[in-house]
Amino acid sequence: MIMRRITQRSVILITIVLSLILAVMPMSLAVAVWRPEWPLLVMIYWIIALPYRVNIGYAAVVGLAVDILLGSTLGFHAAAYAIVAYPAANYYQRIRNFSLSQQALLVAVLVFIARAIVYLFEHYLNNAPLMFYYFWPALSSAIFWPWVFLVLRKIRRRFQVR
Amino acid sequence: MSSTLFIQKVSLRVRLTLALLLAFLLIFADHRLGIMQPVRSVLNSFVSPVQYLAVMPEQAFDNFISQVQSRRRLVRENEQLREDVLNLQGQMQRYQFLVRENDRLRGLLSSESREERMRMVAEVIAVDSDPFSHQVVVNKGRRNGVYIGQPVIDAEGVIGQVVDVGLITARVILISDQSHAIPLRAEFSGIRVIAQGVGNTNSVELMHVPHSTELNVGDLLMTSGLGGVFPEGYPVARISAIVRDESLPFAQVKAVPVANLDRIRMLLLLWDSDSESQPIRGEESATEAAREGAGL
Repeated sequence: MIMRRITQRSVILITIVLSLILAVMPMSLAVAVWRPEWPLLVMIYWIIALPYRVNIGYAAVVGLAVDILLGSTLGFHAAAYAIVAYPAANYYQRIRNFSLSQQALLVAVLVFIARAIVYLFEHYLNNAPLMFYYFWPALSSAIFWPWVFLVLRKIRRRFQVR
Repeated sequence: MSSTLFIQKVSLRVRLTLALLLAFLLIFADHRLGIMQPVRSVLNSFVSPVQYLAVMPEQAFDNFISQVQSRRRLVRENEQLREDVLNLQGQMQRYQFLVRENDRLRGLLSSESREERMRMVAEVIAVDSDPFSHQVVVNKGRRNGVYIGQPVIDAEGVIGQVVDVGLITARVILISDQSHAIPLRAEFSGIRVIAQGVGNTNSVELMHVPHSTELNVGDLLMTSGLGGVFPEGYPVARISAIVRDESLPFAQVKAVPVANLDRIRMLLLLWDSDSESQPIRGEESATEAAREGAGL
């Protein structure tokens, strides 16, 4: 029983670490501006799949890890991820019943909100100029969402994470 | 089960409040008070495995490419490199002569002679894709004697400075970052300016330049050595546009960094010969050090 607990937890952690790796993997700038917000995608999946286990606390910690990896002021992404995790954890039953394309649309909105929050922080605290390409990942995240969802569901069922 | 469901619903809001409170505290401590530096260093050491893993596919791909490269191409590349070395050595002789002459002249003027700097090659292991922070992570850290505020250059010019040191990695802020500014001097006219990043890798802006400035498009800007961070005389940027709009208080001057900030792979860390921390080289780079020593 305890062993199973440990494997289950490590499955969740490994997928999160993989998403963080994808988030900082070096690539040319032209491709990088379209990089989906991988950590947030993985967080959204786990929140709607296991809302009792993974919710706002996890999201805030993952956001903090993103802050450290990206070198932004500590707390920007943590706050953004926590805020976005709230509707996902609150309405998980409704989201589960959405079709994949509807979910993708919702993911686009959530990623956009998260990015908008980080942008507002950067704008008011660090005088960031407005860059429209900063919001393009909302689109690419939505495009990648069905695959993320299916792959993670397969992993969850394979390891019987509950 | 239904009771836990209810508790969950209530505590979600509590959790959000707690998480936000914590996040805002962090933001306040990091941004306003600036006291998170040690914490950040520790956390950076924690996440450095992620950064090492992130570059592994690319490195494996590079290895694969060099494995399958044809012999002929390698021979050609070797010849090219030999030629380059010969060229550089030729220039080096001239440089040695000039250094000696400069020392002698400075001696005659009884001004301080310039110290030789120590360098170490570092490799970029992660690049921030976030447009709000132009930073790269390099594979040298406290263990190699890297310190905060250390100047970093590449073959073309100045890249930026170290802002954060982990045990085996360090974070370098680029001159194009919106929060970075660097004191410069125009190559010929000697006009002093400050260049600030604007969050775009191929542009920096010169601040507070009067309309009557004698700067021209195409002027090379070098580090002036005034800020105490960057040593004097390294090329940084070339002026690309000057807009003299009299309705604005200052002239709008843009410059293009001479280093290719969007595709840095190898860079050089610089040490003052009299600075507190000194480069610490591991076994593998001992030969590198010997070679650098012989070159000077």
